[in-house]
Amino acid sequence: MSIPRPPGPPGAWFEERFGVTPAVLHRVMEAALSRGGEDCDLYFEHAASTSVSLSDGKVNAAGTRVDLGMGVRVVVGDQVGFAFTEELTIAAMEAAARTAAEIAATGGTRPVASPVAVRVTDWSPVLEPWDKVDMATRVRMVRDWEQRAFARDPRVARVETYMADASKIVMIVRPDGRLIEDWRPMTQGHVRVTAGQGSVRESSGFNVAGRAGLEYYGAGRQDRLVDQAVDRTLFLLAAGKPPAGEMPVVLAAGPSAILLHEAIGHGMEADFNRKGTSIYASRMGDKIASDLVTIVDDGTIPGSRGAVNVDDEGNPGERTVLVDHGVLRTYMHDEISARFYGVKPTGSGRRQGFRYAPLPRMRATLMENGPHSPEEIISSVKRGIYCQTFANGQVQIGGGDFAFYMKTGFLIEDGKLTRPIKDVNVIGNGPQALERIDMVGDDLVIDEGGWTCGKDGQGVPVSQGMPTVRVGSLVVGGMG
Amino acid sequence: MSTLSPTVSQQELLDIAQRVVAQATALGAEEVKASVGRGVSTELSRRDGRIEKAEESRSLSLHASLMVDGRFSAHATNDIRPEALRDFLAHAVDATRFLEPDPDRRLPERERMGDADVDLDPVDPGWASLDPAYRRALLEELEDRVRAAGSDVKIRSVSSFVWDGSSESVSVTSHGYQSTWRSTSFGSGATLSLEDEGGRLPEAWFMTGARHRQDVVGPQQAAVHALDHARHRLGSGPGPSGRYPMLVENRAVGRVLGTLLGPMAAESLYEKRSCLEGKLGQRIASPALHLIDDPHIPRASGSHPHDGDGMPTRRRDLVRDGVLQEYLVDVYYGRRLGWEPNGGGTGNLIVPPGDRSPAAILADLPQAIVVESFLGGNANPTSGDFSFGINGVLYAHGQPVQNLSEMNISGNLFELLERYVAAANDVWSWSAWRTPSLLFDDIQFSGS
Repeated sequence: MSIPRPPGPPGAWFEERFGVTPAVLHRVMEAALSRGGEDCDLYFEHAASTSVSLSDGKVNAAGTRVDLGMGVRVVVGDQVGFAFTEELTIAAMEAAARTAAEIAATGGTRPVASPVAVRVTDWSPVLEPWDKVDMATRVRMVRDWEQRAFARDPRVARVETYMADASKIVMIVRPDGRLIEDWRPMTQGHVRVTAGQGSVRESSGFNVAGRAGLEYYGAGRQDRLVDQAVDRTLFLLAAGKPPAGEMPVVLAAGPSAILLHEAIGHGMEADFNRKGTSIYASRMGDKIASDLVTIVDDGTIPGSRGAVNVDDEGNPGERTVLVDHGVLRTYMHDEISARFYGVKPTGSGRRQGFRYAPLPRMRATLMENGPHSPEEIISSVKRGIYCQTFANGQVQIGGGDFAFYMKTGFLIEDGKLTRPIKDVNVIGNGPQALERIDMVGDDLVIDEGGWTCGKDGQGVPVSQGMPTVRVGSLVVGGMG
Repeated sequence: MSTLSPTVSQQELLDIAQRVVAQATALGAEEVKASVGRGVSTELSRRDGRIEKAEESRSLSLHASLMVDGRFSAHATNDIRPEALRDFLAHAVDATRFLEPDPDRRLPERERMGDADVDLDPVDPGWASLDPAYRRALLEELEDRVRAAGSDVKIRSVSSFVWDGSSESVSVTSHGYQSTWRSTSFGSGATLSLEDEGGRLPEAWFMTGARHRQDVVGPQQAAVHALDHARHRLGSGPGPSGRYPMLVENRAVGRVLGTLLGPMAAESLYEKRSCLEGKLGQRIASPALHLIDDPHIPRASGSHPHDGDGMPTRRRDLVRDGVLQEYLVDVYYGRRLGWEPNGGGTGNLIVPPGDRSPAAILADLPQAIVVESFLGGNANPTSGDFSFGINGVLYAHGQPVQNLSEMNISGNLFELLERYVAAANDVWSWSAWRTPSLLFDDIQFSGS
């Protein structure tokens, strides 16, 4: 199943199919504001997805999914009432609005303006939309990935492949009259490989994801998907146990941006700061890193998984400079935190879907290029590790402690990459790690993997990118 | 639009499921399983004296598995308007025909399916007549108790949470199987952050959930536990690297022993991604270790009369005297491997308690690290190698010496399990992992 790019004007999709007319919107918003709510938003969503998967040499499972509903949020100061309905009848929507309205108890109503469509910049130019792609093409692609993976190396013992495409139309309506409609495509491809050599067996894989149509899988991307999946698995066959203890850590360009995301990004989401529970809560304008470090959160990278045309409150995606040459410049804001701090929202109010209220979230989090070459960085380390790829990470916002799990990397000895290593947790304190970044490469890579960020039980698609970076010291959880 | 009311009855859910089976069959599916679930829930949170968020949800979901010309697919929608549903199923049946046949995906044999004959008491009869005022009162009490219990520390922020809900589901197959299930859930707890040196604001939480409201831990006990954990984060940092006895606190045990479940699954074994391949009937852990799967504990969150395939659940030993007793074999991978299915999922996971308290165990040890929670980390299911970050406390002869963070434990699962010594007597009863704190000997910690 796919949702095509809406052919009509903004608002027409939900009006023509579900009878959500301007008059209906007006009534639901009046119900939402009936107890004195200061603001509200109606978030309509119609989503569909298709997946196919291959195992045992057969494309033997497929799935489709449709999701439809409307979430209504009522805001009073920093208090939030929220309810949703999966039925777009006026009775069900009004009932949800009244439930959400209960957060307010002051009475009095704010006037509701007639909806006027707001133009949206589209950062996801889709050339071959998924609603025009037949099942046979999807089936052919996952089988082709499998065959290429087997052809790469005789040690490849098993291959599983999977691809999914999803598309949704969201419509956000606000009492100030803004009506924003946004079409959001997404695709992801996965290749999972098991390889064996002697008695050693290892599994790994790779995945790519972006806001695009079928054209995403051109220009070498399918080759990279397969090559990375095989190479990462074969690497593990030869890799050994990492060292343990505090040491310098060099983070390879690209996937290492999980460090940015965990160690720094979450602490700069404004809700934690507004509540005073982030370690960065009182650091605005402070020098928190060396001059080499500039960090941005960017919703406008065309086709990237974390791109947002508008966020889920209806504010345009933008490029937000969080840390400028070491100085903390802004947090990532939704409307509640922006009001609290007296600044403009940064287009960072995101939600998993209509069942959830928005929160400040990352989009594509990047560290900008610095002056050093990657070779210079590696050769500067006497003994440490070079982290190449990652599986997952986690942070404790208030204490600032974070961890990320390195899947593959190298030992660095006397400035050279020597022994391949694997499977180790690296742990540190976010603000300290940021302060300890003392070399930044000139080789920024935006990772094309399909990262999903979890917060408060909500997952949203994100991207991340980083040049090669040296962190003076982190605790590596090795074997001795 | 649908005529589904917010108070849809179980019969209505069955009607929808039966309609889906009939329609998909008419469209050409030779086998169909339709499951319809419905949930209602309310969640309130309060932060520093004021309600922060009030959420209410009512949701319905339909899942349909189809076998068409020997080909398999699985579909989900919540748009059950008759016309939309018809189109959805027609598309689903068509899409399935593009795949390759996979006869192993057939429904389980009808005679295998059914419910275990147990009374799991999953519904709190009080849910239907709940006084909504209780939620706000409980939130306030939770916050007050945390602040009172924390008069000796600098509290930056306290949030309290309360939630409750009811859900039901029905499943119907084209070969005549039908099941229903209903449960309620309640939960509450608090998180807090403290002010610490260096601008750090360490957090801690304590939350419990249960099927029956009276089984949820009360506000006083929740406040004391949350504060205890928060105090243990003050001034924390990496301790010296070395080998120590490790006591994993009860509610953190699932993170460690959970790494066994992936490799135990028939899917991992079939796909040659399991470090437990060839280990059935062999010792994989210290003889002191017993791990039991018991899906039949009344009121427990992991209890269920049937598994994901619709087969009756049963109590079973997974590891006895350190010996691996069973793999987790679902119907599909059982067919592929030629093994009898025995239930691919687990219910409540139990390590029988010992007779000593964690304090008594610690008092006997010159040095030990209590792991209160894990941070990040992962395990490689194929090799069994793991590496986890930890938060905890270093004890000497039962006395706390240093609060720890930024430390890792790393090693191989089998070495870890071999070093298992004993269980304490403090069983945690509020999740599917119902275990006491567990003591391991001689574990490598890396820190400063």
